[in-house]
Amino acid sequence: MEESTRSKWDFSSSFYDLLAYGPERRWAPYKRDLFANMNGKVLFVAVGTGQDIRFFPPGRDIVGIDISPRMLVKAKPRAANYTGSLDLRVMDVHKLEFFDHSFDQIVTSCTFCSVPKPVAALTALRRVLKAGGMLYMFEHTGSYVFPFNILLDVMTPLWKPIGPEMNRDTVVNVEKAGFEIQQVNNIYLDVVKTIVATSPA
Amino acid sequence: MERRFYFLAGDALSNAIMGMASAWLATSIVDHTWHMLTAMLAGMAAGMGLSLILMPLFVGLFGAMEVMLPVMLTAMLAGMAFGMADSMYVLTTLEVLLGGGLSGILVLLLTYAADVIMHGKRL
Repeated sequence: MEESTRSKWDFSSSFYDLLAYGPERRWAPYKRDLFANMNGKVLFVAVGTGQDIRFFPPGRDIVGIDISPRMLVKAKPRAANYTGSLDLRVMDVHKLEFFDHSFDQIVTSCTFCSVPKPVAALTALRRVLKAGGMLYMFEHTGSYVFPFNILLDVMTPLWKPIGPEMNRDTVVNVEKAGFEIQQVNNIYLDVVKTIVATSPA
Repeated sequence: MERRFYFLAGDALSNAIMGMASAWLATSIVDHTWHMLTAMLAGMAAGMGLSLILMPLFVGLFGAMEVMLPVMLTAMLAGMAFGMADSMYVLTTLEVLLGGGLSGILVLLLTYAADVIMHGKRL
Protein backbone atom coordinates (compact mmCIF):
# COMPACT_ATOMS: atom_id res chain seq x y z
CA MET A 1 0.00 0.00 0.00
CA GLU A 2 1.44 3.34 -0.96
CA GLU A 3 2.07 5.13 2.33
CA SER A 4 2.08 8.66 0.92
CA THR A 5 -1.32 8.18 -0.72
CA ARG A 6 -2.80 6.77 2.47
CA SER A 7 -1.37 9.64 4.53
CA LYS A 8 -2.75 12.22 2.11
CA TRP A 9 -6.29 10.84 2.29
CA ASP A 10 -6.10 10.20 6.04
CA PHE A 11 -5.24 13.89 6.40
CA SER A 12 -8.00 14.97 3.98
CA SER A 13 -10.60 12.91 5.87
CA SER A 14 -10.77 15.61 8.56
CA PHE A 15 -12.19 18.25 6.18
CA TYR A 16 -13.40 16.14 3.25
CA ASP A 17 -17.10 16.23 4.15
CA LEU A 18 -16.99 20.01 4.58
CA LEU A 19 -15.69 20.50 1.03
CA ALA A 20 -17.96 17.80 -0.38
CA TYR A 21 -21.27 19.38 0.72
CA GLY A 22 -21.78 21.39 -2.49
CA PRO A 23 -20.31 18.91 -5.00
CA GLU A 24 -22.21 15.92 -3.60
CA ARG A 25 -25.54 17.74 -3.76
CA ARG A 26 -24.83 19.09 -7.24
CA TRP A 27 -23.90 15.64 -8.56
CA ALA A 28 -26.60 13.73 -6.65
CA PRO A 29 -29.07 13.15 -9.53
CA TYR A 30 -26.34 11.97 -11.91
CA LYS A 31 -24.77 9.63 -9.36
CA ARG A 32 -28.17 8.21 -8.38
CA ASP A 33 -28.90 7.48 -12.06
CA LEU A 34 -25.53 5.81 -12.61
CA PHE A 35 -25.60 3.76 -9.41
CA ALA A 36 -29.13 2.55 -10.24
CA ASN A 37 -27.35 0.17 -12.65
CA MET A 38 -25.70 -1.71 -9.73
CA ASN A 39 -26.46 -5.44 -9.93
CA GLY A 40 -24.91 -8.71 -8.86
CA LYS A 41 -21.69 -8.68 -6.85
CA VAL A 42 -20.45 -5.07 -6.98
CA LEU A 43 -17.04 -3.60 -6.11
CA PHE A 44 -17.21 0.09 -5.20
CA VAL A 45 -13.76 1.67 -5.40
CA ALA A 46 -12.71 4.51 -3.07
CA VAL A 47 -15.77 4.71 -0.86
CA GLY A 48 -14.14 7.58 1.09
CA THR A 49 -16.26 8.94 3.94
CA GLY A 50 -19.28 7.16 2.45
CA GLN A 51 -20.93 10.22 0.90
CA ASP A 52 -22.04 8.09 -2.05
CA ILE A 53 -23.71 5.37 0.01
CA ARG A 54 -27.02 7.27 0.11
CA PHE A 55 -27.17 6.98 -3.70
CA PHE A 56 -26.79 3.18 -3.70
CA PRO A 57 -30.00 1.38 -4.68
CA PRO A 58 -31.29 -0.72 -1.77
CA GLY A 59 -30.75 -4.44 -1.41
CA ARG A 60 -27.51 -4.77 -3.38
CA ASP A 61 -24.43 -6.87 -2.56
CA ILE A 62 -21.52 -4.40 -2.46
CA VAL A 63 -17.89 -4.48 -1.32
CA GLY A 64 -16.48 -0.97 -0.77
CA ILE A 65 -12.75 -0.35 -0.57
CA ASP A 66 -10.61 2.64 0.29
CA ILE A 67 -6.91 3.19 0.89
CA SER A 68 -7.56 5.42 3.93
CA PRO A 69 -8.56 3.83 7.25
CA ARG A 70 -9.63 7.25 8.57
CA MET A 71 -11.96 7.77 5.64
CA LEU A 72 -13.55 4.39 6.33
CA VAL A 73 -14.05 5.22 10.02
CA LYS A 74 -16.25 8.09 8.83
CA ALA A 75 -17.97 5.85 6.27
CA LYS A 76 -18.98 3.15 8.78
CA PRO A 77 -22.06 4.89 10.27
CA ARG A 78 -23.31 5.61 6.73
CA ALA A 79 -22.68 1.99 5.72
CA ALA A 80 -24.60 0.81 8.79
CA ASN A 81 -27.69 2.63 7.50
CA TYR A 82 -27.54 0.96 4.07
CA THR A 83 -30.39 -1.50 3.50
CA GLY A 84 -28.39 -4.20 1.74
CA SER A 85 -25.03 -5.91 2.07
CA LEU A 86 -22.15 -3.43 2.24
CA ASP A 87 -18.75 -4.69 3.34
CA LEU A 88 -16.08 -1.97 3.80
CA ARG A 89 -12.38 -2.86 3.58
CA VAL A 90 -9.09 -0.96 3.66
CA MET A 91 -7.39 -1.83 0.38
CA ASP A 92 -5.12 -0.35 -2.27
CA VAL A 93 -6.75 -0.47 -5.70
CA HIS A 94 -3.33 -1.33 -7.20
CA LYS A 95 -3.08 -4.45 -5.04
CA LEU A 96 -6.57 -5.91 -4.90
CA GLU A 97 -6.91 -8.84 -2.50
CA PHE A 98 -9.67 -10.55 -4.49
CA PHE A 99 -9.65 -13.60 -6.75
CA ASP A 100 -9.76 -13.13 -10.52
CA HIS A 101 -13.24 -12.49 -11.95
CA SER A 102 -14.85 -12.04 -8.51
CA PHE A 103 -17.24 -9.21 -9.39
CA ASP A 104 -20.10 -8.70 -11.83
CA GLN A 105 -19.68 -4.93 -11.77
CA ILE A 106 -17.23 -2.28 -10.62
CA VAL A 107 -18.31 1.26 -9.76
CA THR A 108 -16.06 4.28 -9.17
CA SER A 109 -16.91 7.80 -8.12
CA CYS A 110 -14.30 10.59 -8.37
CA THR A 111 -11.61 7.95 -7.94
CA PHE A 112 -9.35 8.04 -10.97
CA CYS A 113 -8.44 11.70 -10.48
CA SER A 114 -6.51 10.55 -7.42
CA VAL A 115 -5.25 7.02 -7.95
CA PRO A 116 -1.45 7.35 -8.36
CA LYS A 117 -1.11 4.85 -11.25
CA PRO A 118 -4.45 4.96 -13.05
CA VAL A 119 -3.76 2.50 -15.88
CA ALA A 120 -2.20 -0.06 -13.51
CA ALA A 121 -5.15 0.33 -11.13
CA LEU A 122 -7.69 -0.04 -13.95
CA THR A 123 -5.84 -3.13 -15.14
CA ALA A 124 -6.09 -4.52 -11.61
CA LEU A 125 -9.83 -3.82 -11.67
CA ARG A 126 -10.18 -5.67 -14.97
CA ARG A 127 -8.54 -8.72 -13.37
CA VAL A 128 -11.21 -8.96 -10.65
CA LEU A 129 -14.11 -8.18 -13.01
CA LYS A 130 -15.87 -11.07 -14.75
CA ALA A 131 -15.55 -11.25 -18.53
CA GLY A 132 -18.33 -9.13 -19.96
CA GLY A 133 -18.72 -7.36 -16.59
CA MET A 134 -19.55 -3.68 -16.46
CA LEU A 135 -17.44 -0.77 -15.24
CA TYR A 136 -19.46 2.32 -14.25
CA MET A 137 -17.51 5.51 -13.52
CA PHE A 138 -18.47 9.00 -12.37
CA GLU A 139 -15.29 11.03 -12.82
CA HIS A 140 -13.90 14.46 -13.47
CA THR A 141 -11.11 14.67 -16.02
CA GLY A 142 -9.01 17.13 -17.93
CA SER A 143 -10.54 19.08 -20.81
CA TYR A 144 -9.76 19.25 -24.51
CA VAL A 145 -11.28 22.73 -24.74
CA PHE A 146 -9.52 26.09 -24.26
CA PRO A 147 -9.37 27.80 -21.75
CA PHE A 148 -10.60 25.01 -19.45
CA ASN A 149 -7.66 22.74 -20.35
CA ILE A 150 -5.16 25.45 -19.30
CA LEU A 151 -7.02 26.19 -16.06
CA LEU A 152 -7.11 22.50 -15.13
CA ASP A 153 -3.39 22.18 -15.86
CA VAL A 154 -2.71 25.20 -13.63
CA MET A 155 -4.90 23.87 -10.80
CA THR A 156 -3.44 20.35 -10.78
CA PRO A 157 -0.13 21.07 -8.98
CA LEU A 158 -1.94 23.36 -6.51
CA TRP A 159 -4.57 20.78 -5.48
CA LYS A 160 -2.52 17.58 -5.79
CA PRO A 161 -0.87 17.75 -2.32
CA ILE A 162 -4.26 17.55 -0.54
CA GLY A 163 -6.61 16.21 -3.19
CA PRO A 164 -7.14 15.11 -6.76
CA GLU A 165 -5.38 15.83 -10.05
CA MET A 166 -7.53 17.90 -12.39
CA ASN A 167 -6.13 17.01 -15.80
CA ARG A 168 -6.31 13.22 -16.09
CA ASP A 169 -7.50 11.67 -19.37
CA THR A 170 -9.51 8.92 -17.71
CA VAL A 171 -11.38 7.79 -20.83
CA VAL A 172 -8.07 7.06 -22.57
CA ASN A 173 -6.75 5.37 -19.41
CA VAL A 174 -9.80 3.06 -19.35
CA GLU A 175 -9.08 2.05 -22.94
CA LYS A 176 -5.36 1.58 -22.20
CA ALA A 177 -6.30 -0.84 -19.41
CA GLY A 178 -8.10 -3.02 -21.94
CA PHE A 179 -11.74 -2.09 -21.31
CA GLU A 180 -14.15 -1.47 -24.15
CA ILE A 181 -15.86 1.91 -23.79
CA GLN A 182 -19.63 1.66 -24.19
CA GLN A 183 -20.66 5.22 -23.37
CA VAL A 184 -19.23 8.59 -22.32
CA ASN A 185 -21.77 11.12 -21.10
CA ASN A 186 -20.71 14.69 -20.32
CA ILE A 187 -22.33 16.08 -17.18
CA TYR A 188 -20.46 19.42 -17.05
CA LEU A 189 -18.47 20.70 -20.03
CA ASP A 190 -16.19 17.81 -21.10
CA VAL A 191 -14.84 17.69 -17.53
CA VAL A 192 -17.40 15.92 -15.33
CA LYS A 193 -18.65 12.75 -16.98
CA THR A 194 -19.98 9.24 -16.64
CA ILE A 195 -18.10 6.43 -18.38
CA VAL A 196 -19.55 3.00 -19.03
CA ALA A 197 -17.17 0.26 -20.16
CA THR A 198 -17.04 -3.54 -20.33
CA SER A 199 -14.34 -6.08 -19.72
CA PRO A 200 -13.92 -7.97 -23.01
CA ALA A 201 -14.97 -11.63 -22.94
CA MET B 1 -27.37 22.84 -17.92
CA GLU B 2 -27.98 23.39 -14.21
CA ARG B 3 -31.60 24.35 -13.44
CA ARG B 4 -31.81 24.17 -9.63
CA PHE B 5 -32.20 27.62 -8.08
CA TYR B 6 -29.76 27.01 -5.21
CA PHE B 7 -26.91 26.22 -7.60
CA LEU B 8 -27.80 28.91 -10.16
CA ALA B 9 -27.87 31.53 -7.40
CA GLY B 10 -24.65 30.10 -5.94
CA ASP B 11 -22.91 30.25 -9.31
CA ALA B 12 -23.97 33.86 -9.81
CA LEU B 13 -23.00 34.87 -6.28
CA SER B 14 -19.60 33.13 -6.45
CA ASN B 15 -18.67 34.70 -9.78
CA ALA B 16 -19.96 38.17 -8.90
CA ILE B 17 -18.06 38.19 -5.58
CA MET B 18 -14.93 36.81 -7.23
CA GLY B 19 -15.11 39.40 -10.01
CA MET B 20 -15.58 42.26 -7.55
CA ALA B 21 -12.83 41.05 -5.22
CA SER B 22 -10.32 40.46 -8.05
CA ALA B 23 -11.01 43.81 -9.69
CA TRP B 24 -10.71 45.60 -6.35
CA LEU B 25 -7.46 43.80 -5.48
CA ALA B 26 -5.95 44.47 -8.91
CA THR B 27 -6.75 48.19 -8.71
CA SER B 28 -5.39 48.31 -5.14
CA ILE B 29 -2.03 47.02 -6.36
CA VAL B 30 -1.76 48.90 -9.65
CA ASP B 31 -1.73 52.66 -10.27
CA HIS B 32 -1.31 54.97 -13.28
CA THR B 33 2.52 54.84 -13.07
CA TRP B 34 2.51 51.16 -14.11
CA HIS B 35 3.01 50.01 -17.70
CA MET B 36 -0.22 48.61 -19.13
CA LEU B 37 1.20 45.12 -19.77
CA THR B 38 2.80 44.84 -16.33
CA ALA B 39 -0.43 46.04 -14.72
CA MET B 40 -2.42 43.43 -16.67
CA LEU B 41 -0.13 40.58 -15.62
CA ALA B 42 -0.03 41.74 -11.99
CA GLY B 43 -3.83 41.98 -11.97
CA MET B 44 -4.15 38.48 -13.38
CA ALA B 45 -1.74 37.04 -10.80
CA ALA B 46 -3.54 38.87 -7.98
CA GLY B 47 -6.90 37.54 -9.18
CA MET B 48 -5.61 33.98 -9.43
CA GLY B 49 -4.04 34.15 -5.98
CA LEU B 50 -7.24 35.50 -4.47
CA SER B 51 -9.31 32.81 -6.18
CA LEU B 52 -7.26 30.11 -4.44
CA ILE B 53 -8.15 31.65 -1.08
CA LEU B 54 -11.88 32.13 -1.75
CA MET B 55 -12.44 29.00 -3.85
CA PRO B 56 -12.77 26.44 -1.01
CA LEU B 57 -15.72 28.40 0.41
CA PHE B 58 -17.57 28.50 -2.91
CA VAL B 59 -16.71 24.88 -3.74
CA GLY B 60 -17.88 23.64 -0.34
CA LEU B 61 -21.23 25.37 -0.77
CA PHE B 62 -22.06 25.12 -4.46
CA GLY B 63 -20.07 22.47 -6.36
CA ALA B 64 -16.63 21.40 -7.55
CA MET B 65 -15.64 21.84 -11.18
CA GLU B 66 -18.87 23.74 -11.92
CA VAL B 67 -17.66 26.42 -9.50
CA MET B 68 -13.86 26.17 -9.81
CA LEU B 69 -13.61 26.72 -13.55
CA PRO B 70 -15.79 29.82 -13.99
CA VAL B 71 -14.60 31.35 -10.70
CA MET B 72 -10.93 30.96 -11.62
CA LEU B 73 -11.57 32.32 -15.11
CA THR B 74 -13.46 35.27 -13.61
CA ALA B 75 -10.60 35.98 -11.20
CA MET B 76 -8.02 35.96 -13.99
CA LEU B 77 -10.03 38.06 -16.42
CA ALA B 78 -11.36 40.61 -13.92
CA GLY B 79 -7.86 41.01 -12.45
CA MET B 80 -6.36 41.45 -15.92
CA ALA B 81 -8.98 43.87 -17.19
CA PHE B 82 -9.11 46.10 -14.14
CA GLY B 83 -5.35 45.98 -13.55
CA MET B 84 -4.85 47.21 -17.10
CA ALA B 85 -7.68 49.77 -16.86
CA ASP B 86 -6.32 51.19 -13.61
CA SER B 87 -2.96 51.86 -15.26
CA MET B 88 -4.69 54.00 -17.90
CA TYR B 89 -7.75 55.61 -16.27
CA VAL B 90 -8.92 56.86 -12.91
CA LEU B 91 -11.62 54.45 -11.72
CA THR B 92 -14.02 54.94 -8.83
CA THR B 93 -14.55 52.12 -6.32
CA LEU B 94 -18.13 51.78 -7.54
CA GLU B 95 -16.99 51.37 -11.15
CA VAL B 96 -14.44 48.74 -10.11
CA LEU B 97 -16.92 46.72 -8.03
CA LEU B 98 -19.74 46.98 -10.56
CA GLY B 99 -17.47 46.16 -13.49
CA GLY B 100 -15.84 43.26 -11.62
CA GLY B 101 -19.22 41.82 -10.65
CA LEU B 102 -20.56 42.12 -14.20
CA SER B 103 -17.45 40.49 -15.67
CA GLY B 104 -18.05 37.56 -13.30
CA ILE B 105 -21.63 37.16 -14.52
CA LEU B 106 -20.48 37.41 -18.16
CA VAL B 107 -17.87 34.67 -17.65
CA LEU B 108 -20.51 32.49 -15.95
CA LEU B 109 -22.92 32.92 -18.88
CA LEU B 110 -20.17 32.00 -21.35
CA THR B 111 -19.33 28.81 -19.40
CA TYR B 112 -23.07 27.95 -19.29
CA ALA B 113 -23.14 28.34 -23.10
CA ALA B 114 -20.07 26.10 -23.44
CA ASP B 115 -21.71 23.55 -21.16
CA VAL B 116 -24.89 23.51 -23.25
CA ILE B 117 -22.78 22.77 -26.36
CA MET B 118 -20.75 19.99 -24.69
CA HIS B 119 -23.41 18.41 -22.46
CA GLY B 120 -24.71 14.93 -23.18
CA LYS B 121 -23.61 11.68 -24.75
CA ARG B 122 -20.28 11.83 -26.60
CA LEU B 123 -20.01 8.13 -27.36
